[in-house]
Amino acid sequence: MTRELRDLADEYVVGLLDPAEAAAVEARLAAEPELARAVEAARARFLELDLTAEPAAPGDGAWSRIERRLAERPAAEVVPLRRRTAPWRGIAAAAMAASVLLAAALGWQLSRPEPLMIAVLIDETGEPRVLVEAFADDTTRVTPLGDLAVPEGRTMELWTKLPDPEARPISLGLLTEVAARTVTGPDLPAPRPGQLFEITFEQEGGSPTGGPTGPILGKGFAKPPR
Amino acid sequence: MTDHAALLAGCARGDAAALRALFEAEGPRMTGVARRLLRRPDLADEAVQDAFVAIWQKAATYDPARGAALGWIYAILRNRALNMLRNRAREDLTAPEDLDAVREADPVEGAYERLDASSRLRACLAALDPLKRRCVLMAYVLGFTHGEIAGRLAAPLGTVKTWVRRGLAALRECMT
Repeated sequence: MTRELRDLADEYVVGLLDPAEAAAVEARLAAEPELARAVEAARARFLELDLTAEPAAPGDGAWSRIERRLAERPAAEVVPLRRRTAPWRGIAAAAMAASVLLAAALGWQLSRPEPLMIAVLIDETGEPRVLVEAFADDTTRVTPLGDLAVPEGRTMELWTKLPDPEARPISLGLLTEVAARTVTGPDLPAPRPGQLFEITFEQEGGSPTGGPTGPILGKGFAKPPR
Repeated sequence: MTDHAALLAGCARGDAAALRALFEAEGPRMTGVARRLLRRPDLADEAVQDAFVAIWQKAATYDPARGAALGWIYAILRNRALNMLRNRAREDLTAPEDLDAVREADPVEGAYERLDASSRLRACLAALDPLKRRCVLMAYVLGFTHGEIAGRLAAPLGTVKTWVRRGLAALRECMT
């Protein structure tokens, strides 16, 4: 590891880089393990100084303010495979109940919800193969387009991946026939722009590894319908 | 002893009680760190709240193989506080009526003195040339820029940059 890298990591951790320089270092961390290690080492070196800080009571109502902010947004931006992040339960459920009551009181028909995000899965020749509509309730409607042949002994599996360098693909379920279907996936944050959707051909019963292993039928990035 | 890694894992699973426990365990000390950097108690509180929201959202990205949970938590807090600091002029940060928020006469010396007697960091800081030690501590503990340190020490900017770089390198070598 070069001295310059270590100096840079130290200056970054100590807070001496200007905002642009600090942002540049942050952007490099995911791709440069040496720099990331130097930054980790510097953090560990100086941590004790933080632990000498005189504790001070966080202001009145600090915890309730934190709770309120978390209720307003998805619980996590990155969901590694096999780990779930539940929405902030009590408050989200109450908010949903309130909006259902309001709709009923106003005499609105609760019609079929609009998808939050739509992705068109394109194959490697550029052909649209599948339409994916992702809803707020963790369901996803999958509509094959045109002719679609599934190889013998294979089944289609739908994956999604959040737009984050650390994210890994998460299975939303299997599609056992070539027909429009709605799958219910695991508890996830609301679908958002740039989220990747992909269908691969896996062995019957789905991928044994928890990640995509088979050839890709098509993939696309989600966009909000307008 | 708080198991910070376990609490982060709890946060990653969506367990609100885990974040609450982290807030109880570390909130006050994180507030202390934020106050040393930002001076104003209201800004310090904001930084701590922002940090807990970020901790909740990113808990799933914490990787124990890469470093200690406590370090990860304080890095988030420091990042937030330093961002707030860099986005405001230093003058905004200490109103005269808030002077009693700056309790210690010399928070830099205070931080150093409070390091454990057996601490390696303390020994390595002690081994530094006093001016270099002071520069490093003013930067880390109080969030001063090179320019602010130069102003406080009435020293040229270039000299301060050299002191800082040499102080950081000497500390690094002493501790590895």
